[in-house]
Amino acid sequence: MNFLTEPVGLSHFLAVGAFLFVTGVVCMATKRNTLGILMGVELVLNGANINFVAFASPYFREDNLGLEGNLLALFVIVLAAAEAAVALAIALNYYNNHSTIDVDKANELKG
Amino acid sequence: MFYQLIEQLRIDTLQQSLPLFGAELTLVVAIVLILLCRMLPVLEKVDSVWLGIVGVIAALIALRPFQPWSIGADGPVAIAMGQLQPTETFTGMLTHDGFAIAIKAILLFFLLLFFLLTKITKLSSRFDSADFVVLALGSILGMFVMSSANHMLMIFMGVEMASVPSYALVALQRRNKKGSEGALKYAVFGAGAAGVMLYGVSLLCGVLNSAHLPTMATRLSELFASEPSGSEVLVLALGGLMLGVGLSFKLSAFPFHFWCPDVFEGASAEVDAFLSIASKTAALALLVRVAVGFTTLPAEPAQVARATPPTIEQVAFVDAEAAPEKALQSSDPLAPARKFVVLLIGVVAVVTCTFGNLAAYAQTNVKRLLAYSTIAHAGYMMMAVPAAIAVAEVDKNSARQAIAYLALYAVIYLFMNLGAFAAIAFVREAVGSEEIKDYAGMLKRGPTLAICLTLILVSLIGLPPLAGFIGKFAIFAAIAQAWNLTSSPFLMFLLIAGGLNTAISLFYYLRIAKVMTIDSESDDTAPMQRPIGIIQNGYLVLVTAPLVLLLFNWDFLNAWLLEAVSHIIT
Repeated sequence: MNFLTEPVGLSHFLAVGAFLFVTGVVCMATKRNTLGILMGVELVLNGANINFVAFASPYFREDNLGLEGNLLALFVIVLAAAEAAVALAIALNYYNNHSTIDVDKANELKG
Repeated sequence: MFYQLIEQLRIDTLQQSLPLFGAELTLVVAIVLILLCRMLPVLEKVDSVWLGIVGVIAALIALRPFQPWSIGADGPVAIAMGQLQPTETFTGMLTHDGFAIAIKAILLFFLLLFFLLTKITKLSSRFDSADFVVLALGSILGMFVMSSANHMLMIFMGVEMASVPSYALVALQRRNKKGSEGALKYAVFGAGAAGVMLYGVSLLCGVLNSAHLPTMATRLSELFASEPSGSEVLVLALGGLMLGVGLSFKLSAFPFHFWCPDVFEGASAEVDAFLSIASKTAALALLVRVAVGFTTLPAEPAQVARATPPTIEQVAFVDAEAAPEKALQSSDPLAPARKFVVLLIGVVAVVTCTFGNLAAYAQTNVKRLLAYSTIAHAGYMMMAVPAAIAVAEVDKNSARQAIAYLALYAVIYLFMNLGAFAAIAFVREAVGSEEIKDYAGMLKRGPTLAICLTLILVSLIGLPPLAGFIGKFAIFAAIAQAWNLTSSPFLMFLLIAGGLNTAISLFYYLRIAKVMTIDSESDDTAPMQRPIGIIQNGYLVLVTAPLVLLLFNWDFLNAWLLEAVSHIIT
């Protein structure tokens, strides 16, 4: 395979990013534990971050995303931390009320 | 070189951007002050809701919705809405134009009424009120960013800034089991949708090599003009779809609507009003920004930064000025993108609308029913976007008109849904129930509330004597006009689907009205614990009155919105 023998370039980074994205989505879809789902979200965000940083690198492409990509990645890291903090607080509150964090047991609201 | 860069950044930030950023800055100051007040023993006793109201009024004054600020030759000057040229602020991150100002004014006006409502229903105790007010103000700040976003970073940041505080708002009543479940679902789905959206953004930015929306549109037109490879188009379409996932989550559009009923049932009625009006208006504004941004070419960069050395653009986004002439050579390179957007948003709008209306029938909880009604209304409002995009190249005036009608619907929707959720909150206070069956005999138990809620429901259907009719009719008129100009069968389909949906929605709204007015109280109806007070009735009348009065004269509103959008599609 050409992909495996050629020197590491943009497509390799994108492949890692895509792998992280797919892993994260599968994690979100199959995990029943809220914390597992939140970990899946982090994987998806980091997959996107790898894309941003790879697209921004001047070593892979002449015409690149430039500093904007790096900046986006930095902001995403901060926002992901904020979102995780709030989501964990909400999960804790849910645990206090229901004594579980299994999303399948969250079925009081239906219709 | 370095010194020059800093100097340009200073001029751009201090002289150009910050004066146009007054409303946001006021909100930030209000948030900080409200938090600081808790530290002083003297000010601790002041209810934060009042401080929040003062902050919102100050922000409205700073925004000047009828004579917005513009940057003239010597500092900021106030000019008429129609003359306001779109100005990019903070090196192209945000855009300052009439559309953003109109949406921000609607949001602030809503927030004012919302704070008054929570004061009447005593949603938050005095010691919790600072948290609640700060969360609401912070969420609105994110919606401000959404409505004026001009850069992919700002789009993502706005969505997150608006979402994260609203997760916490849903979870406000900590001991409520349903509330905590709703908040958990909202937070988990929201985080997932944001992640997928970000990945889509990364693909779009990577292919188009920019994150600045107008630059991306220019690159997109260049790409389409030069015979793109299949894989590039595939990646673009995939990125667009993933961006759509995030937007449709915020809009609660099909297939990402499922959080909406659960969250609405779990949260208190006041927070539901916030989610269904503010959050949805901002999401629609963002949808318009993204859809228009990707399918129309930006105006010449000459309009971007004025009264300063033009070098600022060269620093900020490298080769934006070389692009437009090249793109203009080919007749209409963005036509494929436009077709994609029209089809995607149109189909999603129709399915959302139909699904919301059909699912509403089976509901017994009034908040859940209104959640589905919210989904359906998001569908109606989204229909204006394909109507605008379809004619963006043919007739710019009717495209602008369609967007103005969308904003008009949002204003009317504000009164309708705020009134409906306020009535639910008042009934919850008086009866202690949110089931439809407990509304029986409301005409005798609380006549003013019953009459106002009936008027609001009829308006939500869109029947002629009330303002809801204006909104719906305006949207359908925009679609019909677009069909007239392009004679595309898809727009006709959109029109028919919208009309049919209005007919479907008739019965479930009228069911509540019937229970309230015709059914009499039976033994299993929850008894009145306390009467509905005069302040509550007064508030409801205040919110319902515009629905009746707007029919006599809504031209001023339409004229203002039309002026506001006069530069959005150039």
